[in-house]
Amino acid sequence: MNQADVSKLMSQLRIAVKPHRNLRNPDGPEGRLLKLRKTVTALVKHERIELYYNRADEARGYAELLISNAIRYGDRHKATMELADYWLLEKQLVHKLFKVLVPRLENCNFSYTRMYKAPRDYPGMYYRKSVLELRGNPYPSLLPDYTNNRNLIHNVLLDEARKDYRREKLAELADKIASESAVNAEKVGSEGDAKEAENVEKA
Amino acid sequence: MSRNIYQSLNSFLNRLERFIFFGHRGQPPLELALVGMPSVGLNAPNKSDRFSLKNLLGDGILWAVPKHRRTIEKRLNRKFGLPGYNWKPLVAKTNLRSCNQCGHDHELGVLCPHCYKKVEQETRLMQEKIEQKLGLEPIEHEVVVLYQGEQLEKNENGSNDRKVRVVEMEKPRPVWFSKNLMQKTTAQPADTKEVKPSNLG
Ligand SMILES: [Zn+2]
Repeated sequence: MNQADVSKLMSQLRIAVKPHRNLRNPDGPEGRLLKLRKTVTALVKHERIELYYNRADEARGYAELLISNAIRYGDRHKATMELADYWLLEKQLVHKLFKVLVPRLENCNFSYTRMYKAPRDYPGMYYRKSVLELRGNPYPSLLPDYTNNRNLIHNVLLDEARKDYRREKLAELADKIASESAVNAEKVGSEGDAKEAENVEKA
Repeated sequence: MSRNIYQSLNSFLNRLERFIFFGHRGQPPLELALVGMPSVGLNAPNKSDRFSLKNLLGDGILWAVPKHRRTIEKRLNRKFGLPGYNWKPLVAKTNLRSCNQCGHDHELGVLCPHCYKKVEQETRLMQEKIEQKLGLEPIEHEVVVLYQGEQLEKNENGSNDRKVRVVEMEKPRPVWFSKNLMQKTTAQPADTKEVKPSNLG
């Protein structure tokens, strides 16, 4: 078996690629590519962008390819550098790709980008909207926060721990009150004895 | 249908007759007394004659008039559309759910509009700040956003030499964007004792 492993010759995209769609453009294929280059540049620059679904889905593959090649070959590889130069219209982002995104996403086991379906007005425009973002961005998460779901195992355990803690505290409190009331009772008892004695003396 | 046409033609002829003979001044206009025209007024139509379209139209034809009745299937399809192709009546949406965080309704598989709006606004503010800070210089370090009163987290080895660009927001961190997700087990007693109602006039 002297054959090379194909998967090691080229980067495999970590997203499902949908068939090429005709993003119409008055300038033809070149204009279409320019549109995609603008989108990839904006994604690398802002790390989270909102745009129409088709455009986002098409541009996502190119962004993934760019990042995966950058991780794979580094900044000493001529072809990768040319690729970065082609896709990133703002050249300060070439630095960002190799110095920020590569270290950040090196050990990422999933896709480097995420795509969500964005809400739109009802009935509104026909086109679907989406949010495209890089993983590890500094912005607040778009995913719903399920940490408060009380049926999750860690929340069940935390709830039990809280219950135990409260039980302990209540027991302590009860002991404290009991001892205090005992002291008071002794006091009251002694006072009562004195009063009885007085009464006896009066009688 | 022919009955309708007959009636409308009849009424039209009546009106024409009335206009011709009594016009504006109650007199038949002189201009209309043309030579060679059979005078309608003189030879009044015999009422016993049966009206027929053939007499009226002669060899003429009628344009743009339906010739055949539309079948019931056609009429129903026009009214309600075809299920699966173009169903016209309103259909209930079954892919709506309420958000677990805020309770607003959203489509299944789509971000909740209420929560997304919140995140989007915060993201936009952060992006503006970051863009201001970074400008056009080459970006070589990770960006860390700090809110009011926050400090940079230290490295694993306790040193503070992480190479990052710090972007500061001039406002406290939003509650929903908090990193501390633990809730307090026991609530501290309140300091204030009396609460006076305000805005009672
Ligand atoms: Zn919500």
